[in-house]
Amino acid sequence: MQNRFGLKDVFVVVLLLATLASVWLSMVQKTRIELAVDGLRVKLGEMERQAALFQREVEKGLAGGVVVQQGGGGIAVSNDAWARPGVAIQRWPNPAPATNPEGQPGFSVGGEFTEIFEAQPAKLVPYIQSDVYGTRVLDRVCEGLGSFDPKTLKMVGVLADAWQIDPDGLWIRAHINPRARFSDGAPVTAEDVRWTNLDFIANPLIEAERSRSTQDNLKDVKVIDERTVEFLFKEPFFTNVLIAFGNPVLPKHWYSKFEPSQLNQATGLLMGSGQFKLERLPTGPEDLSVQWTPGTDVVLVRNEQYWAAKPSLERIRYKTVSDELARLVAFRNGEGDLITPSSPQFNKVTREEPGFEEKAFALKWVNMRCGYSFIAWQCGPRAGKDLTPFADVRVRRAMTHLLDRERMITDIWDGIGIVSKGPMNPESPASDPATKPYAYDPDKGKALLAEAGWQDRNGDGILEDASGKKFTFEYTYASGGEIAERLARFVKDSYAKAGIDVVTRPVEWSRYQEILKLRDFDAITLAWGANAPESDPRQIYHSESMKEGGDNFVQWKNADADALIEKGRRTMDESERMLVWRQLEQVIAADQPYTFVRVSPWLRFVSRKFGNVNTYRTGLQPEEFYRVALPAPGSE
Amino acid sequence: MATYLLRRLLLMIPTVLGITLMVFLLVALAPGGIGAGLAVQGGQMSDTSKVAQMQAYLEDRYGLNDNVFVQYARWLGRVSPLKFGTTPLVAPTGDLVREPRDLPEPVMTWAFPAPAAFVVQYTVPSGDALIEDFKRLQREAEGTRRTYVGSVRGMKDALADHVRALGAPWTARLEPKGGADPERFRDLSLDGDAPTLVKLRSAAAAMHASWTEAEASRQRATIAFLARPYPAAGFEIIPNAFSLGAPDFGVAFSRNRPVWDLIATALPVTILINFIAFPIIYLVAVPTGVLASVRRGGAFDVISGLMFLLLYSVPVVLTGVFAIGFLANNQYLGWFPVSGLHDSAAATMTFMPYTDVAGTWHRGWLLDMVWHLALPVLCLVYAGFAVLSKQTRAAMLENFSSDYVRTARAKGVPSRDVIISHVLRNSLLPLITMFVGIFPAMLGGSVVVERIFTIPGMGSLVIEAINLRDRELILANTFMISSVSLLALLLADILYALCDPRVAYD
Repeated sequence: MQNRFGLKDVFVVVLLLATLASVWLSMVQKTRIELAVDGLRVKLGEMERQAALFQREVEKGLAGGVVVQQGGGGIAVSNDAWARPGVAIQRWPNPAPATNPEGQPGFSVGGEFTEIFEAQPAKLVPYIQSDVYGTRVLDRVCEGLGSFDPKTLKMVGVLADAWQIDPDGLWIRAHINPRARFSDGAPVTAEDVRWTNLDFIANPLIEAERSRSTQDNLKDVKVIDERTVEFLFKEPFFTNVLIAFGNPVLPKHWYSKFEPSQLNQATGLLMGSGQFKLERLPTGPEDLSVQWTPGTDVVLVRNEQYWAAKPSLERIRYKTVSDELARLVAFRNGEGDLITPSSPQFNKVTREEPGFEEKAFALKWVNMRCGYSFIAWQCGPRAGKDLTPFADVRVRRAMTHLLDRERMITDIWDGIGIVSKGPMNPESPASDPATKPYAYDPDKGKALLAEAGWQDRNGDGILEDASGKKFTFEYTYASGGEIAERLARFVKDSYAKAGIDVVTRPVEWSRYQEILKLRDFDAITLAWGANAPESDPRQIYHSESMKEGGDNFVQWKNADADALIEKGRRTMDESERMLVWRQLEQVIAADQPYTFVRVSPWLRFVSRKFGNVNTYRTGLQPEEFYRVALPAPGSE
Repeated sequence: MATYLLRRLLLMIPTVLGITLMVFLLVALAPGGIGAGLAVQGGQMSDTSKVAQMQAYLEDRYGLNDNVFVQYARWLGRVSPLKFGTTPLVAPTGDLVREPRDLPEPVMTWAFPAPAAFVVQYTVPSGDALIEDFKRLQREAEGTRRTYVGSVRGMKDALADHVRALGAPWTARLEPKGGADPERFRDLSLDGDAPTLVKLRSAAAAMHASWTEAEASRQRATIAFLARPYPAAGFEIIPNAFSLGAPDFGVAFSRNRPVWDLIATALPVTILINFIAFPIIYLVAVPTGVLASVRRGGAFDVISGLMFLLLYSVPVVLTGVFAIGFLANNQYLGWFPVSGLHDSAAATMTFMPYTDVAGTWHRGWLLDMVWHLALPVLCLVYAGFAVLSKQTRAAMLENFSSDYVRTARAKGVPSRDVIISHVLRNSLLPLITMFVGIFPAMLGGSVVVERIFTIPGMGSLVIEAINLRDRELILANTFMISSVSLLALLLADILYALCDPRVAYD
């Protein structure tokens, strides 16, 4: 075979070059078309912006001209034919932002706000989604009949402009604001509310078991007229209010286009009446491929159809950066405007970088979504066998007195956090501000232990009981985290000083559920989350919850607490109920089934490119933010 | 060759089955069990999510409380292309619809005899009305089933309450978590009128009532199903007994999405990155190895060897953090983006770079992606140089001392030709083994790099599946990776035969 460059080779090379050239040319041509489309897009965006501004002005003019029903209280300004006679009506005229951004320095309409998530939401389909990130998106897109007021934490109307709550707690009737409409312009009706509850959440073919199980107490939802809906309940529990008002209302006309299996497997079917809407949303089952899928940013655009005060931001983008350091770098680089820093990051940046707070708000506050961490003491028999020393209430109190939680927070969490005093969120009215956490008092702790029979009887530095058994217990914690390891060492050292031998037992997080179920621990550390000002304490603190399915894994039994829990959950009047919860807080504090360790505050960095950044008792309200206009236009 | 190939291919079937069975058992026996992570999803437990109820639902939904081997057989039945039993149907949405499941048996039948079995007569409508009717019956069957499963739980709770009321020694038979296994209380007398007994009786009545209702619904739904509202899936050979169909990997329960969808979105990302990374490794490492072997002991050999070994010993985690902290941080160099595959504005970018009228340069979609991929690819690449270049160098050196090289040199073949067409060609053989290893590596992804740079590839998918004990996802991945590994090994053998005339399989 000769290596000669023949005619055939010339032909092949020419063909190859021609193919490459045509690929190149087609790419160049594609770019030209894209540029043309881009020009159109810019023009269209400008027109949209003008239209939005115009609409804003028109609506303001209208609002000024027409007498708005600012009634409140009992003045009957509208036709109350919808209501049940003889029961007080609470009215909620049009919802307004908790803090009005308009008129604040640099207020402008438009702009994109980017929040950085730590993990990708798995899907954006109401009730089927289950992670916290999905909820943050949902809260911007969907609305319920009511929500918690960011400043007072009371339930106030959103889609509902009035409601009646049965003093006996068995029914709730709500009237929907006649202006309320979904982001496609269709009005929000009572049928939508009924459908959401009975044909979406309660539909067994839809994988909404999480929401379904919270609705066990709902008996029926009735449409009274086009805008009036009535909820009927089996038992008079205070949580009925949450079931009725807290659930986002879904547009029946849109969601009913999809089969249950399509909803189950969808990734981005999220539509509601909220201030923002998803940028890409299918119109029906025929173009499901349009929907958002994980792996890309979630982009929300302002809902120009919004029926109350419109937000000023034009877009909200949620992107995901899974690495902790990368998040901070992305924030500094301006690739994101809101991140959740870790505690060391927060301290390092705020303490060591004087310029940082000129560019960003470093926020640290406690709100209703802050949970508490604790060490749970096994008050009953461990794994159905022997009693632990913690069955004695004096020992549990002593354990709390022996632990310097102030120092724990300083040493382990670098000073971020407050000492927890009980199960109630400190921001919630359910917690008595006068109640103080147990003081660090080792002498008192030792005295209590001595009273319970634990003394160093043979001088080896370790406490023994009357029969000579040493005071030793196992401390179970989730392995892998640095904080958890340091906490374990701190606990071991603290109790060693008092003569108690602690055996640390790290276990993998996915085993926790099993350990708790079997009650196979002496002491275990854990945290409870929160997402509302009050939650039903029955699941955790009632003795009935020691059974399978309950979360009273410490097997704590207290007749007073049981009675208070039963009384509280059947008290419909809010202020009265709060008094019951405060009593419960005291009973739990006195009995110390847990040593409450720490309430972890929210930490957030928000770019100063945005204004009206307020820390509320409900968290942050990004829909109220606005892009601060540059001092001199065009000087960028 | 053909028989050899056939034999190898057939041997793969038991191997893959063995691997999946082992993984299945591992997941089932792992502490916490299947789906344990679901209850504690997101690293935080919530009292409102009603973990127990959710778990009961999942157990019933995926049959998690059956025997492990029964579960494995069920999984195998879905994955196998040969399907036995009632043929599933395909809904217009593309979903497989299976025959309604049998109900679990009522409990404590020795004390409360189960209602007699019955057969429901039901006439299904025809045409489109059948589809509507089937949908209604499906929903009804699921709803009554949920009520029935709940009532069985209620029954067990009532029994546990009664046992607690009786006190010792009966309580010793309770499970540590407080539940009662009815089978352990067969000898418990249920006569009398203690309040807990009255409750137990009413729980039994409720269970039987809901069983009757659920069973009737199930039978009606089955009748409608057998009337075939939708076309049958796959290719039926014996109706409702044996058919051929596509493997069905099921739904990942941690994300409630079809496993295949998840893999289909994650796989291209990983393949893209590896398609960039592996050629770079080969293009750098092989020539370096060749040069190093030619100038054995020279400065180039020593320096390149040292450099590659140094790179090899730097952990990827560290490089990733340094890359982000210095190369991507605007406080330092800020040359590269921090995360992701595209810029936020990528959707509106042009494909090619261009300069607009104002003279500003826009990088365009293509360069944007290259720019975003630079750091992840860097992290994937640098550690791979050492092994490959050393391997090449060793193989080259071995060949240099062979007789045929001496002969070639002796007859006056130019040194370049000796190196390239004699030594290098023969030295590439061991590299084939290393080359096929790429394929399974591509599927596995790189967990560390993907996490640091937030790349939604296979690595992140697999690690999350393992953390959450998501059986379907783990199994599908194992199945895929093990099949591809086996195929890659086979490919290696074929390549040997093709490249080296001395190798033959007969």
